[in-house]
Amino acid sequence: MLSFLERLIPVHRREQLEHAWFLARQDLMLASRNVFRQRRRTSVSLIAIIGGVAAMLLASGFFEWNYDTMREGAIRARIGHVQITREGFAEGGTADPLRYLMAETSEDRKLIEAFPQVDTLAPRLSFTGLISIGDSTTSFAGEGVDPEREKKASGALTILSGQDLSGIDANEITVGQGLADNLKLQVGQTVVLLANTGSGGINAIEVKVAGIFATITKAYDDFALRIPLKTSQRLLRVTGVHTWLVLLERTGQTDSFLDKLRPLLKTPGLSIVPWYETAAADFYNKTVSLFSKQVLVVKLMIAFIIVLSISNTMMTNVRERYGEIGTLMALGDTRAKVLRRFLAEGAVLGFAGGVIGSIVGVGAARFISWVGIPMPPPPGMANSFVAGIMVTPGLVFEAIFLSVTTAVLAGLYPAWKASRLNIVDALRHAR
Amino acid sequence: MSIVVLEHVSKEYRLGDHMVRALDDVTLSFESGVFLAIAGPSGSGKSTLLNVIGCIDMPSSGRVVIAGHDISGQTPDQLASLRARTIGFVFQTFNLFPVLTAEENVEYPLLQMEELDKVDRRERVKEMLELVQLGKFAKHRPSQLSGGQRQRVAIARALVTRPELVLADEPTANLDHKTGEGILALMRDINRRYKTTFIFSTHDKKVIDAADRLVGIEDGTVRILGVRKEGQWAITNVARRAAATTDTEAAAPKR
Ligand SMILES: Nc1ncnc2c1ncn2[C@@H]1O[C@H](COP(=O)(O)OP(=O)(O)OP(=O)(O)O)[C@@H](O)[C@H]1O
Ligand SMILES: [Mg+2]
Repeated sequence: MLSFLERLIPVHRREQLEHAWFLARQDLMLASRNVFRQRRRTSVSLIAIIGGVAAMLLASGFFEWNYDTMREGAIRARIGHVQITREGFAEGGTADPLRYLMAETSEDRKLIEAFPQVDTLAPRLSFTGLISIGDSTTSFAGEGVDPEREKKASGALTILSGQDLSGIDANEITVGQGLADNLKLQVGQTVVLLANTGSGGINAIEVKVAGIFATITKAYDDFALRIPLKTSQRLLRVTGVHTWLVLLERTGQTDSFLDKLRPLLKTPGLSIVPWYETAAADFYNKTVSLFSKQVLVVKLMIAFIIVLSISNTMMTNVRERYGEIGTLMALGDTRAKVLRRFLAEGAVLGFAGGVIGSIVGVGAARFISWVGIPMPPPPGMANSFVAGIMVTPGLVFEAIFLSVTTAVLAGLYPAWKASRLNIVDALRHAR
Repeated sequence: MSIVVLEHVSKEYRLGDHMVRALDDVTLSFESGVFLAIAGPSGSGKSTLLNVIGCIDMPSSGRVVIAGHDISGQTPDQLASLRARTIGFVFQTFNLFPVLTAEENVEYPLLQMEELDKVDRRERVKEMLELVQLGKFAKHRPSQLSGGQRQRVAIARALVTRPELVLADEPTANLDHKTGEGILALMRDINRRYKTTFIFSTHDKKVIDAADRLVGIEDGTVRILGVRKEGQWAITNVARRAAATTDTEAAAPKR
């Protein structure tokens, strides 16, 4: 390691670097002592920074919770992490679903299921048809699913009444809340499903309503029904499926999983789509980019408030230490060094405030999440919900970074002022 | 060689709409190794003179050469470096850094000297604290030291870079008589042992008597030059203009 460094950096350069590092440590040591010596003044500034950082974490953590819930909800209710279909299914599947059938099981499927990060692989068959009870008939979007596997893949789907599908071959369905309301369906009633078959004819079956469900997407619940895979294949008189829905242990694994999987699949003409590229994720992506801009405005406002509330104290700090500044310069410190000293004090203040503010923010976030934030149903979604606040390490890092930059910024003018003092005038203030 | 050379140095301040002449055509030179007192009534220009010699103030006109460096036309950074290496300061109000311990205060001027490593610095600091008899107080903060002790730390800090010149503006004015005498004796001792040049201002007769050279100023002009030989002052009164080419040594008539 050292010999490597020696070859990389010539000795005299290394000595310079070491000296620079030594000076930087010296700066920070002096700065922290000065900052923490002025207890009362420092605590006034610290409180402003801590409040700002905590507020920022709560605001961005609230949005993060919403993004996360929305994303995980969509992934676990319908999208999955990776969807594997025949090429062209995404575009042409709705008009002519039966053209894009693929095998229910194959070598490739076994290969995917062998990945350690794969939680489950759920086969799905998508189709449209008509549903009738008594005199009422309406269209539906149906999904043939394997109930056993869907327990994981549809974790974010809530059964409002009745129960979930009981087996892959059961003669029953679950119905989305909007669709059920539309037909005034009750659990236990028998309905008729009508659909085009693979051979071009029309087929109908009678099934029982086992339960009524809701997802976080109201538009989906208004038309959706779910049916055991074998039952749907019987209705359509086909054997294949449309989609292998792959659910991973964690959403963060998606890209690395894709990279590993792509070269391994043997079946030609497969399309492998990560969750964020699906049409269903579009709404999520747009929402995130919209709200991220709004959160950015909030962050800037908070940064601005921090600057306003601490720059005054930082000016006082410089003004009260004119004598010390004069002494520093008389002893041979350059203007640049004096500037650096005071900027370092801002950085130390910002860092301390950022760390304490993060602790306060995370604590407050935990508490608020524990109490819960009651929320009305968002547009396009079915039900009201209780929100929480999710503070990720990334947000904490960002908050500390912001508080350090903000404090340095607030100290910029006072530090510059300090570095430009006339030495003799400054010394006259010494006491 | 003269360590300080001033030629026709004037310093003017604007006060409202009239000018104050703090220094009026001062010409002086001091050799290395002197223990020199600048005396004069309040407002006579003692501090201004010391500030110009210390390169923390620029004259309005005239030439200033300190340890061979002509300071006119030098940038603030060049002057800072000159101060860091050749001049030590002792202040009336001690001016220690309150957040640093005695030894850290003494070490401070050494930090920017790249040629010294940690061991060198520690050695020098220890040596200096011993010299001012404060070895036991190395870890004390200024607030835990008496006035006399603080001024000793300040002297150690001024000397640690081994400067050629130490400037002290009324170093004993904030100390009681006995402590002040101790400080003077210490500076005198260092001056003898290391041949470090000391220039200090005062209006205290007792302090003047500790010096071996004297510059008396009044209204910004040099009025008296004195040399002490075998305990006796040889005083020259300087006519207003005649001071122009005077050296303290040359000006003093041998008795
Ligand atoms: N920044 C300034 N602005 C205006 N006038 C000044 C300034 N500094 C000094 N003076 C004036 O210059 C003259 C000399 O001041 P200086 O401080 O050198 O006197 P001093 O001999 O040190 O006095 P003291 O014994 O009281 O310290 C005084 O008349 C003073 O008012
Ligand atoms: Mg003075």
